[in-house]
Amino acid sequence: MKQELHANRVQLAYASVLSWTSSLGIFFIVAGYVAYVFRLLPSAASPAEVALHWHLRATELHKVVNVPSGWNWIAQLGRGDVLSYASIVYLSSVTMFCLAVIIPVFLKEKDRIYTVLTLLQIAVLGIVAAGLVSGGH
Amino acid sequence: MFTALMLLSPVAAFAVQTSPPVPTEWWVWEIALFVFSFFLGIIAVIAGVGGGVLFVPIVSSFFPFHIDFVRGAGLLVALSGALSAGSPLLKKGLANLKLALSMALIASISSIAGAMAGLAMPENVVQLSLGATILGISVIMLLSKNSAYPEIAEPDTLSKILHIYGIYYDEQLKKDVSWQIHRTPVGILLFIVIGFMAGMFGLGAGWANVPVFNLVLGAPLRVSVATSIFVLSINDTAAAWVYLHKGAVLPLIAVPSIAGMMIGTKIGARLLTKVHTRVVRKLVITLLAAAGLRALLKGFGI
Repeated sequence: MKQELHANRVQLAYASVLSWTSSLGIFFIVAGYVAYVFRLLPSAASPAEVALHWHLRATELHKVVNVPSGWNWIAQLGRGDVLSYASIVYLSSVTMFCLAVIIPVFLKEKDRIYTVLTLLQIAVLGIVAAGLVSGGH
Repeated sequence: MFTALMLLSPVAAFAVQTSPPVPTEWWVWEIALFVFSFFLGIIAVIAGVGGGVLFVPIVSSFFPFHIDFVRGAGLLVALSGALSAGSPLLKKGLANLKLALSMALIASISSIAGAMAGLAMPENVVQLSLGATILGISVIMLLSKNSAYPEIAEPDTLSKILHIYGIYYDEQLKKDVSWQIHRTPVGILLFIVIGFMAGMFGLGAGWANVPVFNLVLGAPLRVSVATSIFVLSINDTAAAWVYLHKGAVLPLIAVPSIAGMMIGTKIGARLLTKVHTRVVRKLVITLLAAAGLRALLKGFGI
C-alpha cells in the first residue's frame, strides 16, 4: 500500500510532527514526575502537602498551597513540581505545533479554505493557551 | 479492584470502624490511581471506548480528589491517548484531517465554553449533570448500532466546498474504499453540543464523535473512529488550557492516570483478539451506569 495514495502531503506532514512531539511528551511527563515525587529537585509544595488539600476545589487549594497553574511557573523551571507541570503544558501544546506545521503545506497547495480554517484553529487554541479567556468562580 | 478502592477510602474506612479514620499516605493513592488507570486502559480498548469517559465518573466516585482535578486529569488522559494513537492513523489515511478540521473549529470553541461553565458550577450541580450524562452515554452505548460502510447517494454542498472525501485501504475487505459524507451542517451543530459536554465534564468524546461521523455524516466506521481521535485532540487541547489556567490540573493526579492508561491501552490492544469483546463491553456499560448513578446520588447529597 502506498501511503501517498491514501494520505496526502498535509496528513503526512502532520503525522510526522505528531509522532516525535508526542513521544517527547511522554518522556517529559515521566521525567518531570520522577523529579517531583522522588524530590530530585526542590519543590514549593511537597507531594504530601498537596495531597492534604487535593479534596478542595481548585480555587480553594491554590489559596493554601503553592502549586503551579497557568503560566505562573515560567521563571521557576528548576523546581520539581514546576518541571512536572511544564511537561503537562507541553503535552497540551502538541496539537498547536502540529497545526502550525501544516499551514505552509496548505499554502503550497493553494488550499485557501483550509489555510484559513487552520489559522483560525491555531488562533482559538492560542488565545485560550495565553489565558486570554477567563471564567470560573 | 473497586472493593479495594472502597477499603482505601477514608470515608469507607470510617463507615466500618468506630475509631477515627487513619489518613492514607499520598503515595498509596498514586499507586492505586496508576493501577486503576492501567486496568481501565485495558478494558477501555477491549470495549471500544475512550478511557476518558470511564475515568472521570469512576475516579471522582472512588478517589479522594476533588472533581475539578479529576476532570482536568480526564481531559489529559483522553488527549494523551489521542496524541499517541494519531500518527499511524493519519499515515494510513484512516483519519481524515479535512473532516476533523471542519468539525473541530466550532467544537473547540464550545469545548472552551463548556470547560468554563463546568468550573463555575457548584459541585453538586456538576455531579448531578455528570451522573445524568454518564447514564445517557450508557444508554447510547447499549442501543447504538454502527454501520461499517454507509451508502451516501449524494454528498451535500458544504462537504463538496470543503473537499471532504477520501480513500483508505480496508484490511478486512483487502481493497481500497472511497467515501464521502452528507448532512455536514447537522454534523457541525452536533459537534458544538459534544464539544461543550466534553469540556464541561472532562470526558473524551469518542462515544459521541463516532456515531455522529458514522451514522449522521455517513463516514465509514474505521474513518469515523480514526477521525474522532483528531477532533478529540483539538477539543481536549482547548478545554485542557482552561483547566490549566484555572489551576485544576495537578501533576500528582494527572501523570499516574496518563501513564497507567497508556500502558493499559497498549496491553488491551494486544488482548483484543483473545477476549470476548461483547462481554467486556457489557461490563463497561454496567460500570458506567453504576458510576453515573453514584454521581447522581452524590449530586443529591446521598
